[in-house]
Amino acid sequence: MTASTLTLPRQSRSGDLRLLWLGTALLALCLLSIAALSLGARATGWADIWGALTSYDPNNADHIVVRNMRLPRLIGAGLAGAALGMSGALIQAMTRNPLADPGLLGINGGAALGVVLCILVLGVTDPAEFIWVALGGGLAASVLVFLLGGGSQANPLRLILAGAAVSALFLALTRALLLVSRQTLDVYRFWVLGGFDGILPATLQSLLPFLILGALLAIIAGFGLNALMLGEDTAKGLGVRTGFTRLIAGAAIVLLCGATVAMAGPIAFAGLIVPHIARWAAGPAIGWSLAFSAVFGALLLIAADLLGRLALFGGNMQAGVMTALIGGPVLIWLVRRNGVRKL
Amino acid sequence: MIWTLRLSALSLQISRRAVLTAILLLSVLLMTALLALTLGSYPLSLADMREILTGGGTAIQQMILLDNRMPRILTALGAGAAFGLSGALFQTMMRNPLASPDVIGFNAGASCGALVAMMLTGGMVLPGAIAGALITAGVVTLLAWSRGLPPYRLILTGVGASLVLTALGDLLISRMDAQTAADMAQWLIGTLNARSWSDVALVWGSLLLLAPALIWLQFPLTRLGMADDIATGLGMALSPLRLALTGTGILLAALAVSTAGPLPFVAFAAGPIARRLIPNGRPVLLAAAASGALITLLADTASRAVPMIQLPAGVFTALIGAPVLIWLLLAQFRKGAL
Repeated sequence: MTASTLTLPRQSRSGDLRLLWLGTALLALCLLSIAALSLGARATGWADIWGALTSYDPNNADHIVVRNMRLPRLIGAGLAGAALGMSGALIQAMTRNPLADPGLLGINGGAALGVVLCILVLGVTDPAEFIWVALGGGLAASVLVFLLGGGSQANPLRLILAGAAVSALFLALTRALLLVSRQTLDVYRFWVLGGFDGILPATLQSLLPFLILGALLAIIAGFGLNALMLGEDTAKGLGVRTGFTRLIAGAAIVLLCGATVAMAGPIAFAGLIVPHIARWAAGPAIGWSLAFSAVFGALLLIAADLLGRLALFGGNMQAGVMTALIGGPVLIWLVRRNGVRKL
Repeated sequence: MIWTLRLSALSLQISRRAVLTAILLLSVLLMTALLALTLGSYPLSLADMREILTGGGTAIQQMILLDNRMPRILTALGAGAAFGLSGALFQTMMRNPLASPDVIGFNAGASCGALVAMMLTGGMVLPGAIAGALITAGVVTLLAWSRGLPPYRLILTGVGASLVLTALGDLLISRMDAQTAADMAQWLIGTLNARSWSDVALVWGSLLLLAPALIWLQFPLTRLGMADDIATGLGMALSPLRLALTGTGILLAALAVSTAGPLPFVAFAAGPIARRLIPNGRPVLLAAAASGALITLLADTASRAVPMIQLPAGVFTALIGAPVLIWLLLAQFRKGAL
């Protein structure tokens, strides 16, 4: 083992520069949040936003719009973005593959199958009721992927291949079920776009524990993953329990992503692209990259939701479609400009 | 065990296992095809078939065998082979099982093209799909190009394109009326329903045209599957070679999609299956073509065998392909090959 391999990740960016970046990103997040609260079909002034947040008046139309519609949407998009960003950073670090995406672990596929089954068998058509089946389907699929991928001894290639196989299987089952029933297709084709229309405060509340637990586990896993990125043997030599670290990271990914899919449907791309931008700003150290991914993810999804409801398709474009439309070209641009920071 | 064939100055080394496996695979393929010809709501025995083929049999029997089952099964074989070949070309060249045409956006391009054509003209699904696949492939290759075609750039660019196109496709489906959406859902997963002899002529004719290129590319491809410096050390010019391989792979993928729809998982699974069957990977293209054809044929036969609801073949390619891949993975892990 040469010295250069051991001193790999840390010193590529100085801490001060990273703090500056993070500060700027947080400031941008605040500005964007204010914009998201004030802009819309009904433009709302500062005073009304402040009023709606501090002294809510249920008879004031502006207050109702801000408090009951825009605020849950904003919080939902922010939480979903942060969760997807963090889980993307974790899975890319864990598999050491910059192509890895939480959706690839079968979470989106499992959630979609759960939703379709729920519509078909139970006849449920209200998206608010999809939460638990989506979460359950995502959990089941990802547990299957982790087991096939080698459990706590998961190796990167094996995990991704297992994820791709299970995803394809679930997608095929989903499609088969969709062909059976026209009604199911009609509900499903809107859910699959992913978005924050009509998200309810109660939904956010019920998912918050999952997200918080997931974030905590992500931070714990971060310590071990930093060493793991130096390679399996080095990590073991440094005294890291690699299997345990992977298990914790896996649990964090499943919680964060499953809750997001349950909240907003399968949002592609945020988990793939955000960590790349984060590493570009933060360097490869996992702690920083997790923090940056959370902030950038929230920024991306809030912006996507805002753009979608203001500008495109007559204000009728779902955030999930927007992230893909923004994210795809960004990814290609990143690949062309810098190459991808290898992990 | 290695066999060496000598023909004056030329010599060719083939492992015995590879040859035996290839023969076995082709005979399984042939038997499955024969079985598929006899199966259906109007059963035909092998004796009936021989009679029909020599000009006998009733008019109904002739119609079912000659106009119905044979074109469908031959199209399935050809399209499956094209899928398998295309997948094997990309996966071997890029040394990454994720680099199959379905992963790097060609299928998504075809689907999106079909949907756009449906939206704009109310029909023209097939030309739209072919245009979509070709445009996507061209754009992805151009965007990934940088003094050559580096694998990581191609895969990442393809994944980016795939995500955009899939999202666009979902968006278009949500904007269609319910009837059109249901029709397109059927097409988008791929089916071999109602194929005619013109489809057979298209797919097999194109495969024949591409065969010389494939035979010629087979030799450098096995070396490209090793490290870049080994390939360069053997005196191969990587960029032109990669371009030729990519071009051939694109044509094959477009051909497959245009005859069978974007069947999921065939291109993805055929390569790894072939590789598993023939470990040293010599005639990998032949094995991949045979595996692709077999998967597609089995899927189509299954889709005909399910009564009442006519599920399209694409549902079954994934239902067959995914477990096979999982089995493959487990087998390889147990051997410690991954």
